[in-house]
Amino acid sequence: MAAVQETIDQVRKIDVDQYKYGFETLIDSITAPKGLDESTVRFISAKKGEPEWLLNWRLEAFTRWKAMTEPTWAKVHYPKIDFQDLYYYSAPKSTEGPKSLDEVDPELLETYKKLGIPLREQEVLAGVQGSRVAVDAVFDSVSVVTTFKDELKKAGVIFCSISEAVREHPELVKKYLGSVVPQSDNFYASLNSAVFSDGSFVYVPQGVRCPMELSTYFRINAKQTGQFERTLIIADKGAYVSYLEGCTAPMRDEHQLHAAVVELVALDEAEIKYSTVQNWYPGDANGKGGVYNFVTKRGDCRGHHSKISWTQVETGSAITWKYPSCILRGDYSRGEFYSIAVSNGYQQVDSGTKMIHLGKNSSSRIISKGIAAGYSQNTYRGLVSAHRKATNVRNFTNCDSLLIGDKCGAHTVPYIEAKNSSAHFEHEATTSKISDDMLFYCRQRGLSSEEAIALVVNGFVRDVLQQLPMEFMAESQKLIGISLEGSVG
Amino acid sequence: MNVAVMKTKAEQAISENFEAVAEKLPGSEAVKARRAEAIGAFSGLGLPHRRIEEWKYTDIRANVKEIFPSAIHDAARITIAELIVALGPLAHVDAHRIVFVNGHHRFELGDLANAEGFKVAALGEILASASEDVSAALATTPEGGDAVEALNTAFMTDGAVVTVAEGVTVAKPLMIVFVRAGAHAHSVTVRNSLMVGKNASADVIEAHVVLPGASADAQLNTLTEVTVAKGAMLIHAKVAVDDGKALHLSNCDVTLDADATYRSFQFSTGLGLARNGLNVIFEGEGSKIDLSGAYLARHSEHIDTTLVVDHAVPRCESRELFKGVLDGHGRGVFQGKIIVRPDAQKTDGKQMSQALMLSEDAEFDSKPELEIYADDVVCGHGTTVAELDADLLFYCRSRGIPEKEARALMIESFIGEAIEKVDNEQLRDALAAYAMQWLGRSVRG
Repeated sequence: MAAVQETIDQVRKIDVDQYKYGFETLIDSITAPKGLDESTVRFISAKKGEPEWLLNWRLEAFTRWKAMTEPTWAKVHYPKIDFQDLYYYSAPKSTEGPKSLDEVDPELLETYKKLGIPLREQEVLAGVQGSRVAVDAVFDSVSVVTTFKDELKKAGVIFCSISEAVREHPELVKKYLGSVVPQSDNFYASLNSAVFSDGSFVYVPQGVRCPMELSTYFRINAKQTGQFERTLIIADKGAYVSYLEGCTAPMRDEHQLHAAVVELVALDEAEIKYSTVQNWYPGDANGKGGVYNFVTKRGDCRGHHSKISWTQVETGSAITWKYPSCILRGDYSRGEFYSIAVSNGYQQVDSGTKMIHLGKNSSSRIISKGIAAGYSQNTYRGLVSAHRKATNVRNFTNCDSLLIGDKCGAHTVPYIEAKNSSAHFEHEATTSKISDDMLFYCRQRGLSSEEAIALVVNGFVRDVLQQLPMEFMAESQKLIGISLEGSVG
Repeated sequence: MNVAVMKTKAEQAISENFEAVAEKLPGSEAVKARRAEAIGAFSGLGLPHRRIEEWKYTDIRANVKEIFPSAIHDAARITIAELIVALGPLAHVDAHRIVFVNGHHRFELGDLANAEGFKVAALGEILASASEDVSAALATTPEGGDAVEALNTAFMTDGAVVTVAEGVTVAKPLMIVFVRAGAHAHSVTVRNSLMVGKNASADVIEAHVVLPGASADAQLNTLTEVTVAKGAMLIHAKVAVDDGKALHLSNCDVTLDADATYRSFQFSTGLGLARNGLNVIFEGEGSKIDLSGAYLARHSEHIDTTLVVDHAVPRCESRELFKGVLDGHGRGVFQGKIIVRPDAQKTDGKQMSQALMLSEDAEFDSKPELEIYADDVVCGHGTTVAELDADLLFYCRSRGIPEKEARALMIESFIGEAIEKVDNEQLRDALAAYAMQWLGRSVRG
């Protein structure tokens, strides 16, 4: 985790187009040939030395994918993706990155500085060559990781890449992979199942409270593994784990399409807290380029009294299509979803959650805050449903949208399905703009209008920010300010 | 979404039905052409089904297996006394009346004596006699109309065409009564047109009732087109009461000019499978709407309320409140969409939908939706679904009120909150009476 120095520089105005430079580095990698067919899937599997069963699993997913059509129901518009025009396996090793920080876009560095990211971490984020080696040797946080690894081992927690898990713990992977998001779940999940490159694997054994927050950020060398990440987290009976994904700093990332899958399994009385901060390249000020983030995230509260909590701060990507969901199978299980989605420029966000109540006395809570600025479109789409046999289930949903500027759009599309009379569902949604009175008051106290907006917006999203782990919270506050730069004036 | 599906038996029957009755339907050559066009559009679309987002929870294709013959030149004769019985509590509402039996105007049952300031005519007569232009204008399928509206254009036989002249305030309400009678199952298609002139004001009650002893099987398709001119006001209530089996497909398309007011109330009970569509477009600034309604469903009744409120211009206000009580296998559906177009600043929109479930097998599906493209707006929606509050029930019982009464009291107050929105006191009492009748049969001790 980036060590945050509180309040460095006051946020200063920079262009929305904060990624203008530095993203034209071509990937030159040991790759599978362009395009996707069965041989690509075999190639990936062979390259990773996977066992027969996993190859077959991938091939089955591929067969299913071929029969599927791309979903079009989301409120996002983009040119049709040519799936034969992509590389499905590109080992990151041969990336030609900048040789040192001097070659990196100064504006990007400025952004890092504003976020208070230590110099060496900046190197890693900007993809400076050789920095991965430096990571192991120099990085404070990484030496910490090594220490942590011992500690995790002592506690019995397995935390490794999914490829490693396939080799070391095949019985666990075999048992849980695809058990929450099946191969045929949806178009992008099937694609991911066929060609996933790598990702994280976590197993917390029975009764163990994971002694620290786990983060992908620790395994920075596993980053850049490509567009198709797959994460699998299992909390056995009575276990607890908190997992952080992503990074507040803008990632240097050339991939256009990201189709990741995250599966969480919580057994009896287990708890998983999953936090995401996503700040990928949103495209330039004219809406050109940017990452398509089509992610399937789902948690299965399989045991009684289990709990899964999703927290997300979404500020990046040109298009976000993401619905972290909870299947509340166990009696007395609980699902939570806290989300902040900020869109600016020409970004399009269609995000939300599903709370599927199958177990008796299960409960869920949804707090979603959407902020739209510039020419962006920001949609909340969610489902809350109670199964016929799920008695006494509860849900509370609150979706608020804030509009900054008259060229953006904020939409709310909730689905509420109660098939049981003892279900208590409440849903409320509001949309408004920042009141002129509030802005006037702040400005009259000497704040610039951008500072005032950052202040008001941070107040607006406070409920969600509080759910984030401490370090993330402070960084996210600044990140939201930066994301909204250029939205007024 | 375009899903090519084989035609169902019912869809084929509709097309065959049209062939059989086309020549007998009222209208000039121009109207006939519009009808043919509409049935063509329907053939392309088919009956609405759950793969169409707007019909996700109300699958007409899956639920309608059989199409009843159209009630053309229906000979059912009813007397005033029978009409009063059919109207039930509504008979006590003091109003001018125009009456249609099985989709045909019955002049002798109406009461339009001393009706001043407005003109009421029967659509069937206009289609048959008026100039090509007028009748063709009345026979259009609304822009963006779906399969149900296309069917309405194809099959409509009659309905009320009401015109309120500029500046007139009509004191006494007008009740448009549609009575279903006869022992044979049939399908009826009617269309109304309500036009309120500049600065005028009117109160219209649309009632769909059934004569005791009529066949429980019936299919109704109704469309009401409303235009409220600048500065005008229309109070519009729609009451649909049936025997628990009928298919009731209803649409109401409203257009408001500047500074206009439209207040609507929809009451539905005893409908086997119902869709109440209400589409409002603001075309002039400073207008206000208040849409509300109450529905009661039991057995395997299914009542769907679908609203689309389109704020196309600035400074308009919309309010919605819909409440439903669901018993048995009753199912309630609420879909409410508020659209705020890019320039519709200063829009104020609020929507609330609540359902009370009395039995384990009841179901409620809700999809309130906001689609907002302007920033200076205040919009919100809320939806709740629950059973009777156990604490409240306990409180009532601790005060000596028996459980059965306590339950009835709570349901009455829940639905009463919506019925309170009805402006006309006599109509309010009539609806409360319907609700009490329903409760009397529904509440268990």
